[in-house]
Amino acid sequence: MKLEGVYKQVRDDVRATLADRKTQKLKRLIIGQNVKDGVIAKLIIIALLTVIGFLYVKPILYMISTSLKSVADMIDPVVGLIPRELNLDNYKDAWKGLNYLDGFADTMTIALLGSIFQVFTCALTGYALARLKFPGKNLFFFLILIAFLIPPQLTIVPLYMIYSELGWINTPFVFLIPAIFGQGLRGALFIIIFRQFFHTQPKALEEAAKIDGASVFRLFFRIMMPLATGACLVVFLFSFVWYWNMSYEAALFLSKDFTPLSLRLSSMQMELLGNKAIDFSAGVGKDPISEGPKMAGAFLIIFPPLVIYLIAQRWFTEGIERTGLVE
Amino acid sequence: MNGKTSRRKQLFLFRWKEYGVGYLFMLPWLIGFIAFVAFPVGWSLWNSFNQVFITSEGFKYTWVGLNNFRRMLIENNAYPIILLTYMQEVLLIIPLILIFSFFVSLLLNERFPGRAWMRALFFLPVIFATGQVIMELFGQGAGQLPFVQDYKLDVILREYFNESTANMLLGILGKAVIILWYSGVQILIFIAGFQTIPKTVYEAVKVDGASPWESFWKITFPGMLPFIGLNAVYTIVDLFTFPLNPVMEIVRNNMFSPTTGYGYASAMAWLYFAIIMVLLGITLWLTYRATKGRGDVR
Repeated sequence: MKLEGVYKQVRDDVRATLADRKTQKLKRLIIGQNVKDGVIAKLIIIALLTVIGFLYVKPILYMISTSLKSVADMIDPVVGLIPRELNLDNYKDAWKGLNYLDGFADTMTIALLGSIFQVFTCALTGYALARLKFPGKNLFFFLILIAFLIPPQLTIVPLYMIYSELGWINTPFVFLIPAIFGQGLRGALFIIIFRQFFHTQPKALEEAAKIDGASVFRLFFRIMMPLATGACLVVFLFSFVWYWNMSYEAALFLSKDFTPLSLRLSSMQMELLGNKAIDFSAGVGKDPISEGPKMAGAFLIIFPPLVIYLIAQRWFTEGIERTGLVE
Repeated sequence: MNGKTSRRKQLFLFRWKEYGVGYLFMLPWLIGFIAFVAFPVGWSLWNSFNQVFITSEGFKYTWVGLNNFRRMLIENNAYPIILLTYMQEVLLIIPLILIFSFFVSLLLNERFPGRAWMRALFFLPVIFATGQVIMELFGQGAGQLPFVQDYKLDVILREYFNESTANMLLGILGKAVIILWYSGVQILIFIAGFQTIPKTVYEAVKVDGASPWESFWKITFPGMLPFIGLNAVYTIVDLFTFPLNPVMEIVRNNMFSPTTGYGYASAMAWLYFAIIMVLLGITLWLTYRATKGRGDVR
């Protein structure tokens, strides 16, 4: 009798602690041991990011939806983000208006060649700053930082004078030649990236190569450059995207003949208004006729870098960490 | 004796051979720096004190001293006003970008399903920040934050601030999304920065009974100060070619204007540069003061 009572009590105790443990486990899962680990915290984070992210990409959604709308859909206030039917006429107009293939070739020339040159020269300079010994290295590094901080506004006037003397205006040389000499778009930043990258590499490799009698050039091209493939890719991608998007320098130096896509949007509007005789000047601000093609054109312009981003997304977002720019 | 000097000579030669390789590696950059940075900067300074004419024999200079600056500041006083307005905007934009990117990177630093996608999303605008595309989107009002209109923020702002301040704030809010599009790289730098703070420190303060709130302000925030400074500098540099930056356009228009020309345009650029340098100086000084005794940035 007594024994049974004890047994019952023990059983109840065990049950209670087990149940307690279960609730604790559940509690830990939801709230988390750390405030940040729980499901609730994670849900809040995801919700916050989703809301902010939606606001963040809304202009892009707007662009895509507008580019697919027909004029009737544009005027109709009932139609929101989703057009009633998919209309690809805007894309046809924009393709013609931008003279897309032509512009694509021009932009590609600058972006591709410019980036290749930049990767090469910046790697060379970054390697010298990180590993080679010579007096005045700190001064050079200081000058690179200064070059990064000088606004382009300061140099475009004399550069325009130089380029027009040399006859480079309206040719890709205005961007390619500086890129060869490490002064391309944000070249200073890329040099810093390469310098930091080469800093993090082990010295033993170089010593071994030197003992084996390899010259510095051989060492650089055969060992260091292959090692730096990741950094090269990061620099190439960033440089490519920035060259592709560059519009201010391009607007000054390239106005005729050789025009990258980024500049063709405004001239496209003229062409379209010329093509379409219908006058819609009554509506102030938004012009439903040219808006669709313009947004289609904008999408066509950003489409190639977008594809590259989808393929190489990992290198973009992890690149800065990987190259050790931030230490 | 003789052997010693020859050995010293050999050492000297050996050293300079090594240095020579270094200089050889630096040579392309050095040529580029002289041709495309140092020389243009010098020329630009020279231009700013001159009236530049284009003749059939090339450029002709007439020394006018500070006349370009005088004309720009006193006679046609539109430029200083534009510059000041823009600088006010910049002073608002920089904290806006910094706070936004810090907050987002703080969230993105946590572990949760789909984090890689979210990171990719917030970096997306860097991919297509083309000046004209952005201007087009902005022109169609796509850059506006939705709650500005919904809550009649414009009325509220006009009530509490004077006319010009309210207009400026509304201007910023009107293009807020576009401005925040310029925080992609900053978010990445912040995320990378969070990795530099060792996890053991957090564990240690947790054992000591610090709440997450305290550990943020005592550990995370001080540790991130150098990165905030770095990002402030990057933001300033990024804003040089910001599509809504009016300076580039004005400089370009004045270059080809018959009444002003290259000299006047150069003077304008130098005024902008001077203000930027003050801004950068203040930023670096603040960062230096805040991080004194810690590791340097970069």
